[in-house]
Amino acid sequence: MAAIANLRQSISDWIFRASFPEAPPVTLVQRRIFILPSRQGYVFAFVLLLLLIGSINYNLSLGYALTFLLMSMGGVAMLHTWRNLAHLRLRPGRCDPVFAGDIAQFNVSVETPSLTRFAIAMRRSGEEPVYVDVTPSETAGVSILVATRRRGLLRSGRLEVFTRYPVGLFHAWAYVDFGLTVIVYPRPDVFAGAAPMQSLNVSEEGIPVPGEEEFNMLRAYRPGDAPRQIAWKALAREQGLLTKEFSAMASSELWIDWDQAHGADVEARLSVLAHWVLQAESFGQSYGLRIPGTLISPNRGDLHRQRCLEALALFDSPSPP
Amino acid sequence: MSTAAITTAPASAPLDVRNVLWLLASMVFVVAPHVPRLPYWIAVLCGIVVAWRAWIAWAAWHFPRRPLMLVLTFASIIGIWITYRTLFGREAGVALLITMAALKLLEMRTQREVTLAIYLGFFLVLTSFLFSQSIPLGIYMLVCVWIFVATWVGFNRVGRAPTLAERLRPAAALLVQALPLMAAFFLLFPRVQGPLWALPRDTAAARTGLSDTMSPGNIANLIKSGEVAFRVQFEGERPPYGALYWRGPVLTEFDGRSWRMPELSSLAEPRYAHQEKLVRYGITLEPHQKTWLFALDVPAEKPPRTTMLYDLQMRSVVPVSQRIHYDMASWLEYRYGERTSPIIRRMALRFDDERNPRTVELARKWFAESGGDARAFITRTLQHFNKEFTYTLEPPPLESRNPYDDFLFDTKRGFCEHYAGTFTLMMRAAGIPARVVTGYQGGEVNPLNGELIVRQADAHAWSEVWLPGEGWVRVDPTAAVSPLRVEGGVNAALGPIDVMSSIIASDSLGVLAYARYTWHMMNSNWNLWVIGYNTDKQRQFFTNLGLPRVDWQTLAFWLVVATLTVGGAISIGLLVRDRPRRREASVIAWQRYCTKLAAAGVTRAPHEGPLDFLARVKSTKPQIAGEAEEITRRYVEARYGAGASRQELAELARRVRELRAA
Repeated sequence: MAAIANLRQSISDWIFRASFPEAPPVTLVQRRIFILPSRQGYVFAFVLLLLLIGSINYNLSLGYALTFLLMSMGGVAMLHTWRNLAHLRLRPGRCDPVFAGDIAQFNVSVETPSLTRFAIAMRRSGEEPVYVDVTPSETAGVSILVATRRRGLLRSGRLEVFTRYPVGLFHAWAYVDFGLTVIVYPRPDVFAGAAPMQSLNVSEEGIPVPGEEEFNMLRAYRPGDAPRQIAWKALAREQGLLTKEFSAMASSELWIDWDQAHGADVEARLSVLAHWVLQAESFGQSYGLRIPGTLISPNRGDLHRQRCLEALALFDSPSPP
Repeated sequence: MSTAAITTAPASAPLDVRNVLWLLASMVFVVAPHVPRLPYWIAVLCGIVVAWRAWIAWAAWHFPRRPLMLVLTFASIIGIWITYRTLFGREAGVALLITMAALKLLEMRTQREVTLAIYLGFFLVLTSFLFSQSIPLGIYMLVCVWIFVATWVGFNRVGRAPTLAERLRPAAALLVQALPLMAAFFLLFPRVQGPLWALPRDTAAARTGLSDTMSPGNIANLIKSGEVAFRVQFEGERPPYGALYWRGPVLTEFDGRSWRMPELSSLAEPRYAHQEKLVRYGITLEPHQKTWLFALDVPAEKPPRTTMLYDLQMRSVVPVSQRIHYDMASWLEYRYGERTSPIIRRMALRFDDERNPRTVELARKWFAESGGDARAFITRTLQHFNKEFTYTLEPPPLESRNPYDDFLFDTKRGFCEHYAGTFTLMMRAAGIPARVVTGYQGGEVNPLNGELIVRQADAHAWSEVWLPGEGWVRVDPTAAVSPLRVEGGVNAALGPIDVMSSIIASDSLGVLAYARYTWHMMNSNWNLWVIGYNTDKQRQFFTNLGLPRVDWQTLAFWLVVATLTVGGAISIGLLVRDRPRRREASVIAWQRYCTKLAAAGVTRAPHEGPLDFLARVKSTKPQIAGEAEEITRRYVEARYGAGASRQELAELARRVRELRAA
């Protein structure tokens, strides 16, 4: 059975040209668009047949006219459905990392070169679609939401763009694959407690205790600074958004170490480590990360935190789901 | 990038209120023409159900529970059965369909059920055509289909509810673009002559028209109907008005009050001793559910699938249950029946001695006084009518046993059937074979196309007498009383008989008359070419095109050609409208500009905005700084600013083209 399923998948890949991912922007040119009657469309064909039989039986000339009008309208609707999708331009958007258990967003922007397109839907295969109307004056953003459960690299896979507008008799669709990915960080284990303090190059004053640092200076706010570091009083004095820096941060280095995290399994350990990373960052401490196969030297700031969390997310999973 | 409204549609989202109201309105529109025909409890039930469903949508009220729906369904089925004593047939079937469609609305929760409701709506459109296929109803139903498609479009939108124009315009576009293909299929689709199976009995609903009996009063009732009986297209010149006697049922049997058709009748081909003045014409006969056909006195030939009786009645083999067209030829001057068999002559002499004795006695007396000269006797009788009698649409009621005595001696006021009946009885009493012929007399000429419209109001009765050496001779006693009736029609003889006629009579400018004639001409063409389009007409259509032999392969071939042509034209139209707009033209120019600069060594980074790029171009290529600034300014204005006119875009493109970057 598995072999048959594989075969079907490869045939479908071959038919739908699955040689992805591809470079943006993608324009839905004629050959990319497929169109088939929807289930409603097949029922409509049956309705037309009944109308025709009725018209023949009762010799209703206007019945013939009605049947042929609706039939021709169905044909015209096919062209309109196809046109509703044709020539749309798609661009991948930024996809921010999330923690496992949160909702990941795959962002795609859609533009129309000319007329407004209604009810354009986008979905990952087998999932609920997201609908959007695309007007010529602005770029429409589509966010495909995916609930995450495990840490790792979440791939969007092939996205289906489809529409059934105006009357739902036909389903026109195209596939795009931008190779969108969302990095899913391990869920931080908030009950893990504080990271054990351990300094590699122990200074003479001993190990600094978090919370006892001395206030050093004010600097301009950078996105990602912890709220508790913001100088709210300065803000109240209308001096702008400033961040308090503490002298102790610069002087001490914390190593977040795989061996010190205790957990039932690898995932539990990673959760503990993630929590420590966040905690250290919020304390404004300089920290390094040491896990098997990866060593990140101490530093702090958003980029550093991202690097650490990424390392945790991708730990030991060269090919995640 | 602005994020437009994004909506996830859950599997069973509640239906949008406005969409549901649209659907309910479409249903009301499509059922409206049926309402006068429906028993009033069904109309009331439908009204309640529609209001109920609207309330469910409007107030997010809960749907009726399943047991209640089952009870309602069974109760309505039983109600329909009690009303009609059947669930099938035209009237009952339509009532059932309407009721079930209405109840279905109460269960409509999902998009799929909405679509089914719309499909049911299309069936309801078809059922309306069972009752009428007139031009106004056709237009009305086209509007109904439009509203249905607009509703359908609304349901296929997601997110923001569409505006009125956003519903109606796409629906109109779909239908208008469908019209050419519809016309092609209408003309070319191989027509099958129905029915495929036996029609339910009540398809042949009672219609006004002549019947196979005549007693005083029943033609007068017919006169009040303005319904069209048939239309005539003459080839060549129209005969004079007074010669337009349209022969219908011939009534020979008489019981003292009513004249009837004999139960048995023999077939005969007409043999005329003398025939002159042939006139050819085509008749489009409205369905009257009887077998007789009408022809100008007297028919010279008979159309296919008809028989001719000895008394020159033409009979169709099957009852005329739909509008038919036949070509005819008639003699205006003729002599026939000199050798009519004695049996038939004897039949034309029978009457009941015991009824109408005074009439019989008077006839015998006058015949004796005229010395047995039939002609003189006839003249005397007609003169008597002319002197003392009044032609009226509202004759006083007659005594039932001896109605003709009552008429001839007492009331002296009557309509054509009174005169024809009395005259024929008097002839028989005098021993002259005579019979009553019913049909129509005259008609109204449409000056726009020369067509003659014959209505029920033109119904008429006259007599035929058999004279030795002459055969059957037509005598119209009404003409003796009111010559205007024969020369100018009922309106001329009696004055306008309905509101419409009186308006038209007072219409000195002729505008109304012109409008009415135009309307009749349209109706006539509609009936002939749209409603009456059948296998024969289809063949005729191709013969007119010069394609005498048309088989279904040819039809299929032309259908494919038509489909491809229309489909191709619409596709091209859609793609032309899909051309990039002006805003896009500025982008194309900008991309060319960037390509040129890239070739000259300044490559724009993907994230680099036009103004940042301009700054870099200025510093690396100071020699084109001015031109680059101008192009960038124009591009930014066109793309992000107020837009640009066609000339401005052309200017931008020209500057990019002439830019020497290297």
